[in-house]
Amino acid sequence: MSILNVAGVSKFYKDVKALDDVTFEFEKGIISFLGPSGCGKTTLLRSIAGLEVPDSGSIAIAGKVQTSISGGILVPPYAREIGFVFQNYALWPHMTVFNNVAFGLKLRKKSADEVKRKVLSALELVGLQGREQRFPSQLSGGQQQRVALARSLALEPRLILLDEPLSNLDAKLREEMRVELKKLIKQVGISALYVTHDQEEAFTISDAVVVMDAGRILQYGAPDEIYNRPAHPFVASFVGHSALVDGRVVRIEGESCLVNIPEFNGANLVSPAPRSAAAGDICKVVIRTTEVKLSPDGFPESADNVLEGMMMSREYRGGLTDHRIQIGSKELVVTSHKFCPMIRVNGDGGKTFVSIDRSAISVILAQ
Amino acid sequence: MPLVVSAIAAAAIITPVLVVIWRSFTTGRLGFNVGLHLTNYLRVFGDKDIMAMLGNSVVYAGGSALLGTGVGALLAWIVARTNTPGKTLVELLPLYPILMPPIMKNIAWILLLAPRSGILNGMMQQFFGIETPIFNAFSMSGMIWVFGLACVPLGYLFLLPVFLSFDPSLEESAYIAGSKPVHTMLKITFPLAVPAFLSAFVLNFLRGLRSFETPVLQGTPGNIKVFVSRVYDSMALEFNTGLATAYSVVLVALSVITLYFYVRSTRFSERYATITGKGYRVKVIDIGPWKYLTFFLVFIYFLVGIAIPFIVLIVVSMIPYFDYDTFMKFPTNAVLTNYYTVMRHPSFVTGFYNSLVLSVTIALVTVMAGIVMAFTIYRTRASGTKIFEFIGTLPLAFPPLVLSVGLVIIFLGTPLYNSLWALGIGLFVAYFPYAFRNASGSIVNIHKELDEAAWVHGARWRHVFFKITLPILKPSVGGALFYIFIEAIRNVDVAVLLTSPGKEYGPVTLFEYFRVGQWAEAAAGGVIYLVVLIAAVSVAKFAFKMKFSL
Repeated sequence: MSILNVAGVSKFYKDVKALDDVTFEFEKGIISFLGPSGCGKTTLLRSIAGLEVPDSGSIAIAGKVQTSISGGILVPPYAREIGFVFQNYALWPHMTVFNNVAFGLKLRKKSADEVKRKVLSALELVGLQGREQRFPSQLSGGQQQRVALARSLALEPRLILLDEPLSNLDAKLREEMRVELKKLIKQVGISALYVTHDQEEAFTISDAVVVMDAGRILQYGAPDEIYNRPAHPFVASFVGHSALVDGRVVRIEGESCLVNIPEFNGANLVSPAPRSAAAGDICKVVIRTTEVKLSPDGFPESADNVLEGMMMSREYRGGLTDHRIQIGSKELVVTSHKFCPMIRVNGDGGKTFVSIDRSAISVILAQ
Repeated sequence: MPLVVSAIAAAAIITPVLVVIWRSFTTGRLGFNVGLHLTNYLRVFGDKDIMAMLGNSVVYAGGSALLGTGVGALLAWIVARTNTPGKTLVELLPLYPILMPPIMKNIAWILLLAPRSGILNGMMQQFFGIETPIFNAFSMSGMIWVFGLACVPLGYLFLLPVFLSFDPSLEESAYIAGSKPVHTMLKITFPLAVPAFLSAFVLNFLRGLRSFETPVLQGTPGNIKVFVSRVYDSMALEFNTGLATAYSVVLVALSVITLYFYVRSTRFSERYATITGKGYRVKVIDIGPWKYLTFFLVFIYFLVGIAIPFIVLIVVSMIPYFDYDTFMKFPTNAVLTNYYTVMRHPSFVTGFYNSLVLSVTIALVTVMAGIVMAFTIYRTRASGTKIFEFIGTLPLAFPPLVLSVGLVIIFLGTPLYNSLWALGIGLFVAYFPYAFRNASGSIVNIHKELDEAAWVHGARWRHVFFKITLPILKPSVGGALFYIFIEAIRNVDVAVLLTSPGKEYGPVTLFEYFRVGQWAEAAAGGVIYLVVLIAAVSVAKFAFKMKFSL
């Protein structure tokens, strides 16, 4: 049985469509909702928690219907038995750490001994033993984050919802916490739904990623699938560093296809063929620019897709360098490692060869 | 130059303060002092009523603060968080204290609640045949009722922002933990409003300790003594300055203790600070059928707190004289004779004119001096200016009546005694802290670089002050001017000891009318002030686009 079933959920704010017929099923594990701000991911999370009421659709947690607009069912948030970690943690400033974590346990009429035992074990789990009597304002941001997590975990929910939980932490702490967070959730063995706008966070933490934009689900799949085979131009541009150009399928050759790119002076690129592609199809071509090779002298015959361009400028970023290369009417920004041969070439404006491996290309047919 | 202006202002403030303290340790009358000793304090603390007086002061100030802050908090919650119909009645609340001078509230409620002639007791007798008066304006509960109602707007204004800017995720996380709405309200929402409630309570308590009209008009006739009325009696009846100052010092000590708790309560609220600064969309809760109850509460407050006192004053000002039967015959017996009487009465006419001229002048002078002093402290390199900060805030700890006691002692035997100058200086000293604190708050917020840029471009202090500081301060200057004008034009407690025949002050004249039983004339004079205040508020609101909040 799936932990979460969402079917046909839509929500309007005045004229803005926050959620547009969202449907998905999620068995178990950690799932991330990835998208830019305003894409509807937080609204979806809050609808699952019962904090927002969608205009239509239904939501079931572990097989039990929680929201069903047509069925007239709306379980209030306090009866959904889930966990929720808010972006700003929402720790109650007038309660100690202990009382924050104990709040829900006391409501469930547990005995004082059991409350104490569960609070302490939840705090130990997040590494905050000994801080029970502190107030939230006496804790650092990272510690507040842990309290918020302990508060949700102490109730032993089947599903925990996390709304950009790491976005208030500084960059270094954020990287540490996301590894720890994943470990913790796996250790406790519950399912988690994780909202973020940071693709790296989504990829590291989750078993599956849902990419959203403008209230719609654009792609739902494993992290490597989202990265390597974006199903939608938006997914391609949002995930990873990539360039997007228009193309037209010239012919299909088994697993590969030849795509004509007018912007690259009409060059043909060999690419993996999308399913059900046919000659003449209009398509978008996604090029992952971190996987493009550069050379001042040219490439051997066996190299894929060798194009000739002009180096416009370079931006040195330390370990990496961005190269701006004009190919036809398109400027391609190629990010390369410091061992790239182009770095040693002095002066801009020189002739540059580009080789795009076919695995760095995704072709998305126009719908 | 700014230093000179600040020094003069500081001297004007510190002198009455020092005189009160010094004089409390001396005996002798009318300026002759007979050495330093503790006679006055021995008499103050030997007074067998001293404990009763202390108790009265605390019960009166505490009771009013509790009633006012509680009702204010409830109204703020209803307005901010519920779907109660008719909430707009409450949203007018911040305007009410501006329109209704304190003395008029006392007059209106005494007319309603006086034990023998009061309107409500009369109605009880006429309609229910209850002979013994139920209501008594001249009792502790009568005092708490009237001053407590006057404390409501402050409670409302302190609590409203708390409920409006409440971070909704604090409630949402309680729901998710399994807490139902009512439980969430009791465990999360209300406890988080406690610091603001405490601040408002302590501030209202302080206002109660300083308040003059209620203790003198309602407490004294009922023989309920508090420190303010005792100070007033020592001055006005016995003219014993030593005793008056000794009582004053005790009162000041009480105020200082209260101020200490106020500072503590604001520190306490810092612990409650969380990550904020976001504009939250606070959810209005659908409270179902309970909304009829909250509507009823709002409506009752509107009637009792605002509408009835206004109506009573207007009606009483238009009947020939005040007693219950004449009141009930209204409107068949409506006359304007009270207005004619009042407007032909020299003590009212001069008093009205003086109050108008003085409050405009004092507003201008006080606000300018406040800006100059703040400028001296924060924007010049003169050393030792921190002392001005202390002196400029000092009068806050001194009830206005105490300041005027000090001034009376200073002016005795000088040509300034019984002059408008004395009145003007008294008002200046009493209102200076408001002007000063407003100006320092704004000046601190102006980036220092703006001044420094002017300095390096060749400006002298007067250029910086008139071309940079003053123009930037304009919006807050407007608010301070209006506030001090409104406060000064209805002042009783500073002016009451500093007026004299020919040098009357309007509100004090009304106070005297009321004390000698000319209640209908007092009401008519009050309505005239009401019209002036409504005109001032309308001009401020529509011509200067001023917003009314604390």
